[in-house]
Amino acid sequence: MDHFPANWGRPRNDAIDLYATHLLHPRPNNRAKDAFADSVQRTQQPIVTGTSVLAIKFKDGIMMAADNLASYGSLARFKDVQRLQAFGDYTVIGASGDMSDFQFIQRLLDDIAVAEIAAQDGHDLGPVEIHEYMSQVMYGRRSKLDPLWNSLIIGGFKDGKRFLSYVDLLGTTYTASTIATGYGGYIAQPLLRKAVEGYEDVLTAEQARKILEDSMRVLFYRDARSLNKYQLATITAAGVQISDSLHLETSWDFAEGIRGYGAQTQ
Amino acid sequence: MDSIAHPTQRQFNPYSDNGGTILAIAGADFTVIAGDTRQSEGYSIQTRYAPKVFPLTDRAVLAVNGFAADGNMFVKKVKQRLEWYRHAHSKDMPLRAIARLIQTMLYARRFFPFYVYNILGGIEEDGTGAVYSFDPVGSYEREACRAAGAAQSLVQPFLDNQIYFNNQQPAPGTSHPVHLPLPTILSIVIDSFTGATERHIEVGDGLEMYVVLAKGRGVQGLEDVRGVQELSVTEEGERIFVIRRDLKKD
Amino acid sequence: MFLTRSEYDRGVNTFSPEGRLFQVEYAIEAIKLGSTTVGICTPEGVVLAVEKRVQSPLLESSAIEKIMEIDRHLGCAMSGLTADARTMIDHARVTAQNHAFTYDEKIKVESVTQAVCDLALRFGESVHDEEAMMSRPFGVALLVAGIDEEGPQLYHTDPSGTFMRYDAKAIGSGSEAAQSELQDKWYKRISLFEAQKLSLRVLKQVMEEKLDHHNVQLAQVTPETGFEILNEVKLKEIIDAM
Repeated sequence: MDHFPANWGRPRNDAIDLYATHLLHPRPNNRAKDAFADSVQRTQQPIVTGTSVLAIKFKDGIMMAADNLASYGSLARFKDVQRLQAFGDYTVIGASGDMSDFQFIQRLLDDIAVAEIAAQDGHDLGPVEIHEYMSQVMYGRRSKLDPLWNSLIIGGFKDGKRFLSYVDLLGTTYTASTIATGYGGYIAQPLLRKAVEGYEDVLTAEQARKILEDSMRVLFYRDARSLNKYQLATITAAGVQISDSLHLETSWDFAEGIRGYGAQTQ
Repeated sequence: MDSIAHPTQRQFNPYSDNGGTILAIAGADFTVIAGDTRQSEGYSIQTRYAPKVFPLTDRAVLAVNGFAADGNMFVKKVKQRLEWYRHAHSKDMPLRAIARLIQTMLYARRFFPFYVYNILGGIEEDGTGAVYSFDPVGSYEREACRAAGAAQSLVQPFLDNQIYFNNQQPAPGTSHPVHLPLPTILSIVIDSFTGATERHIEVGDGLEMYVVLAKGRGVQGLEDVRGVQELSVTEEGERIFVIRRDLKKD
Repeated sequence: MFLTRSEYDRGVNTFSPEGRLFQVEYAIEAIKLGSTTVGICTPEGVVLAVEKRVQSPLLESSAIEKIMEIDRHLGCAMSGLTADARTMIDHARVTAQNHAFTYDEKIKVESVTQAVCDLALRFGESVHDEEAMMSRPFGVALLVAGIDEEGPQLYHTDPSGTFMRYDAKAIGSGSEAAQSELQDKWYKRISLFEAQKLSLRVLKQVMEEKLDHHNVQLAQVTPETGFEILNEVKLKEIIDAM
């Protein structure tokens, strides 16, 4: 099977597309095997990308945030993309990095969910199992030098336990009480740690929401690939709840007097 | 320079360095295996608690440092091999057999290595404490002590001086001890990590020290240790303990 | 169509209605045609003794090889279709060497025996994707002798792939008489020398020819020297002492 959606329904040979009518230039192809296949096929880069995902623990579970933007380079290409996805009744995955790779991951997990429902064996996958599965998939792909270009955050709540973990394109994993991918790792993570570390068991949902909203706002101010439209996912004993898109209130008054920002007259 | 713009190919780099430091010291009838718990990438701390030291059997503990994803996978594969061995030969794999197994597993990946530095510690069949250290492609040797990882260059000279007594003159009429007692070694381990935490940005957050005691050895040297926790199920064979300490988080 | 008592002795992998695999049972029968082979376990080591049937006065008796080394600490004696044993011993040797290479330790006697027995049932039609196997069961039984951390041990394997540990065991044509003799004479603290003499005495009883150093072979596995086929001088000494 061709794992690259961009290749689907297209001619098997790029030489046919003489005028490069296709949007994405360097991407893996499924041409007949040739002597150079090894050096071409696996090289990859993210194309349509999502920026940071943030996640924290709070008293009753896990809360996550990601904006709705999928960028094509510096172009804000798709502005209504959901990057927080629920799997099963206990888990949410948030993805940054290549959005088509994320869609592929969603399909992998959907297949598993279907098989799991069909089995009806009294087992259901929780965040720990989904994390283990995703870490094996990601590490397996990096070992083929054909990575899925994502940083994923897996958050969940099952059997009375919170779970929050990270998996990336290298197969690197960890758990922590605050996690931020991409640019958020530099800008939001210090804010999250200050607000959350040591308070994981006392923070209320409202406080957690406020912490994430403030961090998302800082990211929107600083990260040029971010959007002021975002979603929140809350995973507690009650289950998974992903909000509608929320709007970030921002104030650009400070820019008024700065040359190059506001409406300058001279 | 070339004036024509060529399409550039960016090679995907399948490796990363996740920092941290591990060390192990063998005593006469015990071994201490330790590692910090910080996992980092570049200047970012990913998590303050990601264990790098793993008990394998009742008498073997493995510390893994380098690229964390490879490390975790490697430990997983070693554990799987130990389980298979248990089924095939109805016994736990002896320490020196684990050491050789690790070599063959690492060398099997000679041309796409596991980017990990391994230190294996535990009790040998003859009841002595032992440390085996490995490079990523499987070269290994038995030693009395070894440090590896980000702060290896800070810790190893300290151990050379404190364990091997390099560059130390014994007082007239005395000689250096061949083996140090457990409390002394625990102090040296803690000092190694507080020191490394001070001077290396990738070391810190937490410290985990595993102590493996030879069969029949009492717990002398551990009684007064704060927060020591036993992992072994029986008191007949070798016994494993873990001691946790905080390290600075900055 | 020719119908005998049953047709279930045709296919090597076909159970009879009584739940028997005739080809395997016939293979076990084949061993009873083989020359008598004796193994005795003692606290000092394990003794293996075989009868070498010298069919012709022109046959070079030293060319009959029925005891073979598997590793320094492992030996093996056979009875039945000895040519089949080569496949098994080759596998045992590779397994032992591979274990030493991977784990830097001697393989256990039971493990190497298990490894040979894993081969025993690889006969019949090969399944898709599987390595081509043998067309029939092995027609040989082995006595595997060795020393590991659990001390001296003796194992018996048969064509069904079953293996059992014994203190003393006889296989081959004279095995019934030999086994009851062993049952009589074996005792827990038997010395290596006594075991050597006992094994020859047992062979002597079931052999048609007169026993001498040409028509028997004696081997031992001891902690000191490992596996060793006793040379003519040593063998004569024991025959004289017997």
